[in-house]
Amino acid sequence: MKMNNDASHFGVGKDLLDSLVATALSTGGNWCDLFFEDTTYTSLLLRDGQVSSGGSHIDYGCGIRVLCGEKTGYAYAESTDRDSLFRAARAASAIADGVGNCFSSVGRCATPPSSGSLPLQPGAAMTTETHTPHLAAIDWRETSAAGFVPKLQQLEALIRKKDSRVHKVIASLAWQVSEIAIYNSLGELVQDTRPLGSVNVTVIFLQGEQTEMTSASRSFAMGAEMIGDSLLEELADLSVKGIDERFAARRPKGGKMPVVMGAGASGILLHEAMGHAFEADFNRKGQSIFSGKIGKKVARKGINIIDDGTIEHNRGFCRYDDEGVPGQKTYMVQDGILTSYLHDRISAGFFGVAPTGNGRRESFRYNPIPRMRCTYMESGSDGSVQDLISSVSKGIYVDQFSNGQVKIGEGDFTFYVKSGWLIEKGRLTMPVKDINIVGNGPRALADIVAVAGDLKIDDGTWTCGKEQSVPVSCGIPSVLVKELTVGGE
Amino acid sequence: MISAEEKSLAKACLEIAGAAGAQKARVSLSKSSMNLVSTLNAEVDRVTSCQDSSISIAIFADGRYGSYSTNKLGLEDLKSFIIKAVEMTKLLAPDECRNLPDPSRLVKDAVDGNELGLYDPAIVEISPQQRIAFALDNAVYGRQDGCRLISEEGEYSDSDYHNYVVDSNGLEAIHRETSFEYGTEVTVEDDKGNKFSGGWWEASPLLKDFKPGLVGPAAVKEAVAQIGPKPCRSGKYTMVIDSEVSTKVVNPILGALSAYNVQQKNSFLSEALGKTVFPEGLTMMDLPRSAGETGSKYFDSEGVATSDHCIIEKGKVLEYFVNTYMSAKTGLSPTCEDAIRPKILPWAPDGVKLTTREEIMDFCGDGILVTDFEGGNCNTATGDFSYAIQGYRFKKGRIVCPVREMLVTGNIISLWQGFIAAGDDARVCRAKLIPTLAFRGVDFSG
Repeated sequence: MKMNNDASHFGVGKDLLDSLVATALSTGGNWCDLFFEDTTYTSLLLRDGQVSSGGSHIDYGCGIRVLCGEKTGYAYAESTDRDSLFRAARAASAIADGVGNCFSSVGRCATPPSSGSLPLQPGAAMTTETHTPHLAAIDWRETSAAGFVPKLQQLEALIRKKDSRVHKVIASLAWQVSEIAIYNSLGELVQDTRPLGSVNVTVIFLQGEQTEMTSASRSFAMGAEMIGDSLLEELADLSVKGIDERFAARRPKGGKMPVVMGAGASGILLHEAMGHAFEADFNRKGQSIFSGKIGKKVARKGINIIDDGTIEHNRGFCRYDDEGVPGQKTYMVQDGILTSYLHDRISAGFFGVAPTGNGRRESFRYNPIPRMRCTYMESGSDGSVQDLISSVSKGIYVDQFSNGQVKIGEGDFTFYVKSGWLIEKGRLTMPVKDINIVGNGPRALADIVAVAGDLKIDDGTWTCGKEQSVPVSCGIPSVLVKELTVGGE
Repeated sequence: MISAEEKSLAKACLEIAGAAGAQKARVSLSKSSMNLVSTLNAEVDRVTSCQDSSISIAIFADGRYGSYSTNKLGLEDLKSFIIKAVEMTKLLAPDECRNLPDPSRLVKDAVDGNELGLYDPAIVEISPQQRIAFALDNAVYGRQDGCRLISEEGEYSDSDYHNYVVDSNGLEAIHRETSFEYGTEVTVEDDKGNKFSGGWWEASPLLKDFKPGLVGPAAVKEAVAQIGPKPCRSGKYTMVIDSEVSTKVVNPILGALSAYNVQQKNSFLSEALGKTVFPEGLTMMDLPRSAGETGSKYFDSEGVATSDHCIIEKGKVLEYFVNTYMSAKTGLSPTCEDAIRPKILPWAPDGVKLTTREEIMDFCGDGILVTDFEGGNCNTATGDFSYAIQGYRFKKGRIVCPVREMLVTGNIISLWQGFIAAGDDARVCRAKLIPTLAFRGVDFSG
C-alpha cells in the first residue's frame, strides 16, 4: 500500500483536507472530522446445488461531522470532488451557525476552545502514520469469484455427506474491503484497510413429514486465506450438530428457573443485556439502567466483562475506531465493579475521560456513536460446564441463542433459544427448542452464581443493529444464572 | 425528479451491459434526500443532511444472473463497473429459470411518478428554520406535568425518494414519494428511581396530513402507563394485540406465503394454496393502488404491475407471492414478488362491529393486552413462535396493571384458530394495515 500523509486514495490532498475542516468549523463548531470510505462488497450464493447468483456493490463517499459541544452536525457526499465536499462541509456546519439563533442555549460554542484544551481529545494520540493492510495475507480484491465457486460446492458436499436427511443447503460467501481515511481538526490523519469475509450456511433437513432448519456462520477480519478446508469442515460440522436433538426437541413447561449458558455464542447475553446498557450515549442521556453506577458493584466478585477491539482477525477488531481512536481493550466490569462505559469522543468529553475506541459507524452515511466490538466475560474458577449443570435440580441449559433484544431503560432483555436442554436433577434430560428467555440485565448479572473456566469467543457473523449495523462478536465461559423466566407450554 | 440526463444514464447502462455481453438487463436508478433534526431534552442535538443516488443493475448473460450496485455514477466509472459485472456473471453457474418478467406483466401506468399522489412539492419549500421548529415545538420535555421525565429524544425528518426503472424488455417506470416523520422516545422514572420508556411516531407522505403534535404526549402516556408492573401468573389468556404491533402475528403468514420459502420446504403454508387453513373471519387484501396512502406502489422491484386483490379470503389462501424466478422454478403462475400494502379487514362474530382496541377489550372481557413484542422468533418451517411481550392485564374490558417479563408461545396456525376479532384501527402511517387483533387461549409464561 502506498504510504502517504493525505487522503490520496480519494484524490484529496492535505490542503483540501484543511480547507474542508476550516469551512466546517467556520460557524463556530469546536471539532470536525472527515471520514472517507471506499468499500467494495462481493457475494456468491449457492442454492439448489449451484452457485447461480452473485453480485458486487460499491459504496464510496465522505462523511463530515461538526461538533458543537455535544451537538452534532452531519452531512455526506457520495463524490469526493471539491464542490460536493464543500457542500457537505457547509451543511454539517449548520449545527453551529445559529440557524434561527436556535442554538443559543448551547452556549459553549460561542468561543471555540483553543487546541490543547479540546474536551474531546482521545486518550491515545492519533498518528499520521499509515498502516499496511496486514490483516489480509491474500487481498480479496486480487482474487476471482470463480475460485470460490468450488469452495461453496465443497461445503454442500461435506454437509450432505454428514447427514442423509439434508434436503436443501443454502450457502453464501461474502467479502468486503474498505479503504478508510479519517482526518480531524487537530490535523491528525488515520488510514486503514479493513477486510471482512463471512461464510453463512442454512440447512433444511427432512425426517418423514418433519422439517428442521439449522444455520452456522464464520466471519473474520482477514483476507481470502480464511477460505480453507478446515473452515469448510468446521461449518459442515456446525451445520449438522445437534440435528437429532432438534428433531426430538420439545417445548418445556415455562416458568422461572436456573439457566446454564453454554460457552461461546451465549455471549450474546452479555452483548444485549449488559453491553448496550454500558454504551455511554445511553448513560450520558440518563437513559440506561446503569446510569450513575460507575464504581458500584454490579456483579459478584471475580467477574470481569470486557469489550475488546484488539483481537486480530476477530469480526469486532478495530485497529482504529471510526473516529480515528486507536483500538483498545476496555474493562467494563472488573472484579464485579462497573469500571467504564464504552465511549465515543462525545461521551468521553461529557464524562471527562478518554475515549475507549468505541466510536463506530455503519458507513460514511452515519455519524459515529458508541458501539461494542468483541464483548466477552473472562473465565472463572467454578469448574467445568458439567459442574454447573450438575448443580441444578431443575432448569435449562442453552448453547445457542438468537434474536436478542434489550430495553435500555428498564434493562429487560429477551433471547430466543435455538438449541438447549432441560436439566433435571443435574442431568440433561430433554432437548428443547422454540422458546424464549427473558430477564433483567442488572438482575441477571447480579444473579450469575458460577462461572466456569472455559471462555470461548464465538466467530459467527454477528451484526449489531443500533440505528446502524456494525460487525461485532461475543464470547462467554459457561455461566449459571440463578433465575430467569423461560417461556413454554 | 428524475432528470432527462439521469434517464439517459440509466438507458446507457443497459446499452453498456448489452455491449459487454449481457443478453438482458434491468437498471434501477434511485436518488433521495433527507434532512433530519434530532433533539435531546428539547434542545437541538443533531442536524443531518443527506443526498444519495445509486444505480442497481441486474445482469442476465449466457443463462446466468448477477445483481450489482454502485454509487459512483460517472459514465466512465459505470462502464468499468458494468463490464466487470458482466464478466463476473459469466463465472456463475447457468440457471435457466432466471429471466426478466414477461412484457405483458410490466407496469404501464407509472409514467411520471405522480400518479399515486405520494409526492408533496411542499418539501422543497421547507427551510432549515422550519425543520428545527418542527422538532422543538413538538418536544414535551419540561412541559409535561405529573411525571418525572428524565430524557426525551425526538427526531423530525423529511425526505424524498425517486426511482426510475428500465429493462431490455421495454420496461420504463417511475415512482416518487415524500415522507414527513416525527418520532419520540422518552424515559420516565418512578418514585424509586426505576426507569420506564415509551415511544411514538407519526408519518405521512403529505405535509398537510402530518400530525407531529400527537407524538410526545402519546410517548409519555405509554411510558407512564408502565409504572408499577405486577407479576402475572403463567397460563392461558385471551390476547389482544394493539394495532401498533399486530404485524408480529401477520408477518410469519406473509413470509410463509413466499414461493421462495415454499420451494425451499421452509414454509408452514407449503400445502395451503387454495385451501381454507385460517378461520372464516380472516380476510387479507393487498391494496397497493390507493392514491395518497403510505406504502402504495404501482410496480414491484421487477417492474411488474401491482393490483388490488385478495390474498386470503374468509380463511382460504388465494395467493403465493411468486416472482419471475420462482415461477420458473415452481411452475406456479407469477404474481408480484410480495404483498405490497396488505390490509386485514375488520371482523367480529355475528356481525358485531368492533373498531377500536378498547371496544375489542370490552368484547373480550378478561385477558392480556400486548402493546409491544420484544424479541423472539417464529420458525418459518413449522409456524412455532415464542415472543417476549410488554403489555397490560385487563379485566372486564379495563386495564388493571402493566405486566412485563412475560412470554407468549404457540403456533401461528393454532393461534389463528383462536381468532376472535379484528378491529378497524390500523395505523395509516404504515404500509401494512393490520388492526388490533384478538385471540383466545394463548399460552403466557411469566
